[in-house]
Amino acid sequence: MSLARPILLLFALIAGVLAGPAVAQSDPDTLRPLINELADGKYDQTQKQIEALAATGDPAVAPALEALGEGDLYVRKSDGLVFITKKDGKGYKLTDPLTLETAGEAGRREVSKIKVNNKLRRVIRSALGSLTLRAPDPEVRRQAAEAIFKAQDPDGIEALDAALAAETDVGVRKVMEEARAAAVLNSGMDEAQKLDAVQTLSDMGNRDALSLLLATQASTEGAVRDAAGRAIVKIEKSIAAWDAAQNIWYGLSLGSVLLLAAIGLAITFGVMGVINMAHGEMVMIGAYTTFVVQELIRTSAPGLFDYSLFIALPLAFLVSGAVGVAIERGVIRWLYGRPLETLLATWGISLVLQQAVRSLFGPTNREVGNPDWMSGAFEIGQMTITYNRMWIIVFAMLVFTGLMLVLKKTPFGLYTRAVTQNRRMAASMGIRTPWVDALTFGLGSGIAGIAGVALSQIDNVSPNLGQGYIIDSFMVVVFGGVGNLWGTLVGAMTLGVVNKFLEPYAGAVLGKIFVLVFIILFIQKRPRGLFALKGRAVEA
Amino acid sequence: MARSNSLLYLDGVSVSFDGFKALNELSLTIAPGEMRAIIGPNGAGKTTMMDVITGKTRPDSGEVYFNGTVDLTGEDEASIAELGIGRKFQKPTVFESHTVLDNLELALKAPRGPFATLFHVIAQSEKKRLDYLLDLIRLGPKRGELAANLSHGQKQWLEIGMLLAQDPKLLLVDEPAAGMTDAETAETAELLKDIANDHSVVVVEHDMVFVRSLGVKVTVLHEGSVLAEGSLDHVSADERVVEVYLGR
Amino acid sequence: MMSSFLFRAMDTRAGIFLALMAAVIILVPAGNLLVPEGSPFHVPTYAVTLMGKYLTYALLALAVDLVWGYCGILSLGHAAFFALGGYAMGMYLMRQIGTRGVYGDPILPDFMVFLNWKELPWYWYGFDMFWFAALMVVLVPGLLAFVFGWFAFRSRVTGVYLSIITQALTYALLLAFFRNDMGFGGNNGLTDFKDILGFDIQADTTRAGLFAASGLALVLCFLLCRAITRSKLGKVLVAVRDAESRTRFLGYRVEHYKLFVWTLSAMMAGIAGALYVPQVGIINPGEFAPANSIEVVIWVAVGGRGTLVGAVLGAVLVNFAKTWFTAALPDIWLFALGGLFVVVTLFLPKGIVGTLSQGWSALRQRKVSADYEAGSDEPPAPPQSPSAPAKIHPKPAASRLPADAEAQPAE
Repeated sequence: MSLARPILLLFALIAGVLAGPAVAQSDPDTLRPLINELADGKYDQTQKQIEALAATGDPAVAPALEALGEGDLYVRKSDGLVFITKKDGKGYKLTDPLTLETAGEAGRREVSKIKVNNKLRRVIRSALGSLTLRAPDPEVRRQAAEAIFKAQDPDGIEALDAALAAETDVGVRKVMEEARAAAVLNSGMDEAQKLDAVQTLSDMGNRDALSLLLATQASTEGAVRDAAGRAIVKIEKSIAAWDAAQNIWYGLSLGSVLLLAAIGLAITFGVMGVINMAHGEMVMIGAYTTFVVQELIRTSAPGLFDYSLFIALPLAFLVSGAVGVAIERGVIRWLYGRPLETLLATWGISLVLQQAVRSLFGPTNREVGNPDWMSGAFEIGQMTITYNRMWIIVFAMLVFTGLMLVLKKTPFGLYTRAVTQNRRMAASMGIRTPWVDALTFGLGSGIAGIAGVALSQIDNVSPNLGQGYIIDSFMVVVFGGVGNLWGTLVGAMTLGVVNKFLEPYAGAVLGKIFVLVFIILFIQKRPRGLFALKGRAVEA
Repeated sequence: MARSNSLLYLDGVSVSFDGFKALNELSLTIAPGEMRAIIGPNGAGKTTMMDVITGKTRPDSGEVYFNGTVDLTGEDEASIAELGIGRKFQKPTVFESHTVLDNLELALKAPRGPFATLFHVIAQSEKKRLDYLLDLIRLGPKRGELAANLSHGQKQWLEIGMLLAQDPKLLLVDEPAAGMTDAETAETAELLKDIANDHSVVVVEHDMVFVRSLGVKVTVLHEGSVLAEGSLDHVSADERVVEVYLGR
Repeated sequence: MMSSFLFRAMDTRAGIFLALMAAVIILVPAGNLLVPEGSPFHVPTYAVTLMGKYLTYALLALAVDLVWGYCGILSLGHAAFFALGGYAMGMYLMRQIGTRGVYGDPILPDFMVFLNWKELPWYWYGFDMFWFAALMVVLVPGLLAFVFGWFAFRSRVTGVYLSIITQALTYALLLAFFRNDMGFGGNNGLTDFKDILGFDIQADTTRAGLFAASGLALVLCFLLCRAITRSKLGKVLVAVRDAESRTRFLGYRVEHYKLFVWTLSAMMAGIAGALYVPQVGIINPGEFAPANSIEVVIWVAVGGRGTLVGAVLGAVLVNFAKTWFTAALPDIWLFALGGLFVVVTLFLPKGIVGTLSQGWSALRQRKVSADYEAGSDEPPAPPQSPSAPAKIHPKPAASRLPADAEAQPAE
């Protein structure tokens, strides 16, 4: 392991730290004399001075120590002040070692270098390590330990031991132990120590540990090598499990998007036997509603931006729902019993809606912002979970549950289910089927609008937004079976997960082709989908 | 009756839709040349039985044999029709955008493959047969008319004509008198009796007067199985039959 | 037998159509090649190419009409067969480029050299020969249609389900052909063609020849379709369209009939694609777009489905409108096209030709009635177009459409 890398890493780390909140604790007045003292005396004395600096535990002294190790620390002869210098033509640029502000220039003769030898350099390194390892901020300590882990620097072991003795934060302690294990494996320590280290890494169980163990396996022999081999197998297993979990997560997230896009379609298709090719445009209208709401908020009430989606949701439902009802009343009701004609007419409507939006908002993508609570990510084990995906899954489930409740618990739902199962009977029971049709279509379109709000967060908002989802939504409905929302749920999630599992092996495009071919074949086996209604009535 | 000398043989046939048993261990035998009337209240399984025989529905269990040897459960609608089982639907189903004559021509017994029909040229014998059938179902003057323009009763007759054109060994006739006037009903009964002279016929019907005028053995279906069998007088005397029809 | 089969295709209406087509096939190229440029009767080359393109579209519409208008299979994936035929022709044209490509490789097309491919993929073998490519133009779409149809029809996938999976089929192909490693030029497709059968593809004479070939192909396919739809097989197809399960109970194996027309129709679409590509000079995956397939359906609907002349007329009319709109009022075109879908399905379900012939027979009917009242012996038949039969279920409009608007007497 070369010396330069760990030092660079540490330096980068410290620079990061200085930018952070830890700076606030520095007190230049007490530290400056200590730094200026570095210019005095011989190596022995310098060592003591370094240790004294380290003992302050203040990260602010790190740049000075760093520069000292690099041979960039100079003392100005005129006033005995110490600066970090950089050669600039014939002279030197001076930087204040504590504030890191530029402090003018100096000629070659006006400054002299503070000399260090190899022994001192080691002292400096360990001082630097322990300095950050014992910083007051646990985040700084954790980062320091992680840097040592990455560098596998055996010189860090001592500092880590010292830091571990004082460490109280459980999380940081764990990281430190892992860093120590990594360093131990790279050191000349005895087998027992190394076996312990392998055990620690094995418990750590992530990719970093795996690559360290692989290196260890390649470079050692005997018991350590065997232990590393066992640990590798174990970690590979757990990583595979986490990968699968991550894929399932991605799949569920894709599935939720599909569910949102398809569920409205499932209602209109299930209840009315109507294929609404303009369904994608309902989604698009929902997304544009979100855009308009955000624009209004930006210009008139910027403080409400984080709530923009909550404002957009009901509006999108109403706008898309109203367009849906208008389509049903204006066109579709004249075409009942002619599903293929309905398909063509709604396709025409979709073209008109796309062009209308294009004329109103322009053909390019519109910017819809993510509120704060939708951005960012967190980790569970080896999985990364982004907030926007997570909220969309949650949202899809809420929409699904809400829709279930509407269909199961309200009189409207009862009418709808009655019409789905037997239109004529429902009509003769006094249910006004045209009214149910219009409202159902409005509901399906409104849900599509809501889906548009969600999709505006993860996709480009353009007039073609709907086109991208329409075929996938059909596949979900066809796969899940008509007249059953559970079918849609299972269909969407299955397709989402299958898609994401195929992607690593086949690539996104080929994966999608496989899924399409799979559905085409599936339809042969079960022409009416997974959860099909059975019986004589179906054929009629 | 044994399977070997029967025309149609159903034994222990069950069909269920999502838990609802449409047919429950149904057993029924039709002899060659026999005419049989099948009655039963709504939901007794009459139409499902027809579906099973013609291959539209696969039974969950049980045996269905034609001619004593052919297992119908393994055949599809087209091959069952080619074997010689013709079916008339409850709702008259004719090809509405074809003329009466074309409807009959399509039904006429002839090779059924796409290439056979592609190069098909109507033969003199076929013309004669078509004329005969048109006379029989009294639609001669309407031969060039689109089937869509026929009255309900005429459609029923056209469908019976199509059935005859197929020249099947066994005719399954579902409610031939539905929606007919009394006079038409009587005529239909006569027509069916004529047909029964050289075909086996199974008639499903609600109309008791019609069934009585046929004067044949009657099978009563209830909840997917046979409740009673015998002459109409015999079964109408059966207490269970009365109970099923009138409620308790 | 064969002669009677072909003879069936001919009657007055077919005669008028053939005469018109003959005139077009002769006059347009003549107007381009023989009439000098300044003359008002001169047909500019771009117009020849444009009309040639319309003719291939008309052939595609004919193919869609055969399955949709007569057999009730609404295909939303016929563009796939069209594009496959086009690719087969494009591959031949690519191989003809030879060393004239940018990279000058005698065997490999430019895009393969660009992708660093060392040798021709096996499925490109043989495409240097015209006869082979011509065979593939019909075989590849035909085979795909056969396999797809065999699965779909055997499992009785019908109605909107079938429409949707045909759409999925063309969508899957769209995605596949966008991939570079498919070996069909990826996103850019196949283009930069030089010559066909040794003739310069840009030359006026070649253009005129391609136009005439398109017209001829259209006429031949029209006659074939006509012979089929007027045969007993055609009657079975209409029977399947109107009452599929009834047809089955008559002993017809519906899936075989569907498979027959479906495959035939795909082959016709392939021919249309093959004639289209040399005229427009490019084939790319965009041709597979599901939207294209749906557009074809509206051509047929506008002209009148279930009438062969209607399909041809609709394709030419709509595409002429498209050319005009996209040049004059590009923003309006999608409104117009979208509106067309709605208006035709709502107010003109029989299309132009269907409505016209219905009006014609209604007129004739009135005349017959008048004659009858004036003392003729002939009793008037009820009007050809039935008012919707008293039914509880609304029937699909298709079933109320006469197969071909005129009456078809049996031979």
